[in-house]
Amino acid sequence: MIRKLFVLFLLVIVGFFLASVVVSVPFGAEKTIVGRYYLNNTIGETGGVNAVTSIVVLYRGFDTLGEVTVLFLAATGLAAILANTREKRKKHKEKPSLIMRVGTDYLFPAAIVFGSYIFLHGHLTPGGGFPGGVVIASGFLMLFLAQWHYKADELWLKVIESLAGMTYVLIGLIGLWKLGTFLGNFLGKGTPNMLLSAGIIPLIYIVIGIKVGSEMTGLLQNLRETTENE
Amino acid sequence: MGSRLSKFLYTALVMFLLWLLLTSSFNVQELVAGAVIAILVAAFTHERFTKKGLANLHPKRVVCMFIYFFYFFWQMIKANIDVAWRVIHPKMPINPGIVHVKTKMKSDFGKLMVANSITLTPGTLTLEVLGDDMLIHWIDVKATDVETASKMIPGVFEKCLKEFME
Repeated sequence: MIRKLFVLFLLVIVGFFLASVVVSVPFGAEKTIVGRYYLNNTIGETGGVNAVTSIVVLYRGFDTLGEVTVLFLAATGLAAILANTREKRKKHKEKPSLIMRVGTDYLFPAAIVFGSYIFLHGHLTPGGGFPGGVVIASGFLMLFLAQWHYKADELWLKVIESLAGMTYVLIGLIGLWKLGTFLGNFLGKGTPNMLLSAGIIPLIYIVIGIKVGSEMTGLLQNLRETTENE
Repeated sequence: MGSRLSKFLYTALVMFLLWLLLTSSFNVQELVAGAVIAILVAAFTHERFTKKGLANLHPKRVVCMFIYFFYFFWQMIKANIDVAWRVIHPKMPINPGIVHVKTKMKSDFGKLMVANSITLTPGTLTLEVLGDDMLIHWIDVKATDVETASKMIPGVFEKCLKEFME
């Protein structure tokens, strides 16, 4: 009984504060001021027709650099955790079927081209560096699943990933040098809807695509090597 | 089998066509970007992608591939109607089972094409391919001996595929 009363009491308090907030919002008025601003000004200010991409890479490019770092740390952490379990490898019992083995041979290059298409067109179509990179990694995942002898060269993955990460920072520094803001858009806006437009967005997305692709591939490879020990 | 250059060129060409399909644009910038990507991808994957290389583009092969596309489409429509009829029929006339058939295709790609064609036509499903043997799940088993079943399921596609694959 006391419990029920207490719940009721809490509900009343929550309801009171919710109501007081809702009452203060004018009915029918424009509420998405920031969103409206982005939608109206993105093309003029950045040259990118994809507002989401422009926000992610230009208005909040620094955040995205942080996100890339988070992914990098996650992959590194996973590798560190799995490092101990990697020594003993077990032979596989069953060979992957012919359909998978042959099919992945043909699909793998297509997956890479599709991933590249997604990250190159980040400023024009939905998508961008992160999904593009994941599509590329999924191409490698197909090989991992269907062709058990296949192994990606870990050193190369690391080198490519580090180079991509450094290029991102370098692009940011060039912006700092030329315009006085880190990740400033130092390239021309170009004609909207063309591949070469929106300044540094395509450059950054190429870098992110390559970085995410190699990172996820390394991550998947690490995971595969551990499941083999089960 | 084809030389490395021939394999590389063939892979780059196919990847470039895929790029055209994705971008659906003949803008110069897109074409240049597509060419660069196609060459890069082909440089790393041509050994994986093709064994014959440019020989795949022999006019006879291309024409047969084209014919096969329509032939397969026609088979698929027929199979769709057949399965739909079984679904709406009040007595549900199915007799499912797994049959063992043999394929005449020699190359791995040929086997893949037959196996996937069988799976994509409703009513039949490839479960496993081992050498020349295929295990197929059939919604209405009409024959259980290897020879007749081979004529009825993979035989339909092989007639047309054999021409350009082998």
